[in-house]
Amino acid sequence: MTAEDISYGRITVAPRAIATLVVHAILQSYGVVGLAPKNLVDGITHVLVHDPRHGVEVKAVGDQIVIDVFIMVEYGTRISSVATSVANTVRYHVERALGMPVGAVNVHVQDLHVSDVD
Amino acid sequence: MEAMGEVEQRIDGRVRERLLERYRAIDGPTCRRLTEAGLAWLRTNQQVVNSLNVFPVPDGDTGTNMVLTMQAAWDEIASHSEAAIGRLAKSIAQGALMGARGNSGVILSQLWRGFARALDDATLMDVPLFVRGLAEARDTAYKGVVRPVEGTILTVAKDVASAAEQAQKEGASSALQILERIVQAAHESVQRTPDLLPVLKQAGVVDSGGMGLYLLLEGMLRSAYRQPLDTPTVAVRSLGELTLEQASESVEPGQDWEVVVDFRPDATLDVQGFYRRLEAMGTSIQVGEGDGLYRMHIHVPDRKEYDPIDYVRSLGTVTRVAIENLMAQSAAQLSTEKDRLRLTAVQPGQIGAIAVSPGFGISRVFASLGIAAIVDGGQTMNPSTQEILRAFEELPTDKIIILPNNKNIELAARQAAEHSVKSVAVIPSHSVPQGIAAMLCFEVGGDFDEIVGRMTGALKNVRQGEITIATRSVEIDGVPVREGQVIGLLHGKLATAGDSLQETLLETLRAGRAQEAELITLFYGADLSAQQANQLADLVRQRWPEQEVEVVEGGQPHYPLILSIE
Repeated sequence: MTAEDISYGRITVAPRAIATLVVHAILQSYGVVGLAPKNLVDGITHVLVHDPRHGVEVKAVGDQIVIDVFIMVEYGTRISSVATSVANTVRYHVERALGMPVGAVNVHVQDLHVSDVD
Repeated sequence: MEAMGEVEQRIDGRVRERLLERYRAIDGPTCRRLTEAGLAWLRTNQQVVNSLNVFPVPDGDTGTNMVLTMQAAWDEIASHSEAAIGRLAKSIAQGALMGARGNSGVILSQLWRGFARALDDATLMDVPLFVRGLAEARDTAYKGVVRPVEGTILTVAKDVASAAEQAQKEGASSALQILERIVQAAHESVQRTPDLLPVLKQAGVVDSGGMGLYLLLEGMLRSAYRQPLDTPTVAVRSLGELTLEQASESVEPGQDWEVVVDFRPDATLDVQGFYRRLEAMGTSIQVGEGDGLYRMHIHVPDRKEYDPIDYVRSLGTVTRVAIENLMAQSAAQLSTEKDRLRLTAVQPGQIGAIAVSPGFGISRVFASLGIAAIVDGGQTMNPSTQEILRAFEELPTDKIIILPNNKNIELAARQAAEHSVKSVAVIPSHSVPQGIAAMLCFEVGGDFDEIVGRMTGALKNVRQGEITIATRSVEIDGVPVREGQVIGLLHGKLATAGDSLQETLLETLRAGRAQEAELITLFYGADLSAQQANQLADLVRQRWPEQEVEVVEGGQPHYPLILSIE
């Protein structure tokens, strides 16, 4: 689908733009209470520059999009189901907006957020 | 869908008085029974919930996910004899958490978790505790998401909690009064969801997760009222949807005749009463409506085939009657089941190919092309990762190729591939024709990487289409579609909508550039007969005399036709 013949020019979509889409999809996903920095450096950068897209990484591998998301999940939910839903939702929203297949969505659960302890 | 869900408050006044006393406070065993009833009612109406699923991802599995989550909760308490409701609720919450499937399942498990926390180690649940439990359920559920989307199951949970608080303020003294009020509130809340969530309004549906929660609560109330839980809520469907279901039903002993009567009632039809009378005569009752014309469908035992006709005649003008002997039909069905699948037996070291197939005929085509195993699945019946994984593990080779043949199943296939210790390649085929095109490049003894490359490459050589019936009025990609219309999809996108199968088929093929193709294949579904399929093929041959047209029995549900244009 990426090879659609567009004879009058090229369309490029920056990874940042896709990341914004991804953030929107994630924050509406049930069980996710936030995005998480993927490492220490990213964490420090986030303190300095408040970019909501930290915690999302979009790469183009060949003609496919690979998305890594780093999330914080609510304590007490079934993590595997939440992560699967996040992957499905992200894939659906990105594919629908871009009309391009997403190669992979990797979900990394970085931390749990405890609101209540039973 | 409108008739659905009206809570039947018609219950004898004195009986209700007794029940109010009986359900003044709820103990462990009662809660256990109510939970079982909620699950049973949800399961009965599972398909209704699935068909509403458009948000957040329209994959038609909300009902299934909620049933599986509640089933896991039930399994946890099935053999419980816990007298205290608090400890029982904890077990339910634990089971729901462990078995939570999908978005709605996770939210459901959070609701139970909050509810159980409020109940703590209470022995009995009276009105104040019930109200607190529902409030805590709502609060816990809302904590699980950063940006709650209103018009979903969350909204329904919120409205339920408020209604309970309101009922307590108005002096409710029995837990049954709370249950009555929250079932009513859930129903109203579900009906309001399209106003809150535009994607629902656009698709012409109410929220599926919210509907699931409503059914769960309604099942509990029905159980308290001692109403049956095994027949789905009375729903009058559109005529188009009705004809689609007729052909795919299974026949049981004692259902000797199928009787279909079209009629125009003299006065407004009392649907509830109509159903009740029919239930006394037979089974598999369906009623459809379109422009004031009703179609009634029923299975009746031998020598009773004229009873429903006589009854309907008393209600209005009968316009058409069709009677069919089902026993003769099922004999024919048995004989086709006999040609079993001839799957390829792979040896260790060879490549084993697995296909996900939506129908028997399609499985047969795949078998003839060298498939070693079939996983049943397709639109609205996605196989789980475990089922796919099991297919990988059962083949006696460690080189596996899988064809998901559906966009929604590709993810499950990829997950299964990651979990498997074998080397598995997922060929991203999004439809049956693509899967078949890929299989044409398959060799059981070839070089793994080379075969995978060739098969993946073959995917783009085929254009595929599907013909199906719209189950509701909706606007997709700017094309307005009315419920019951025949729609044509190309590569999963809506291409055309028409009033007849013939018209839509030709228009879809035209949009799919049939004139440039060499071969057009029609895979006909379970709803069409071979004769109907051949008539359609003749029509295609007349329009495109240069192209070769093939007809293959696919046996898939929901899609009368799957098209391949090569």
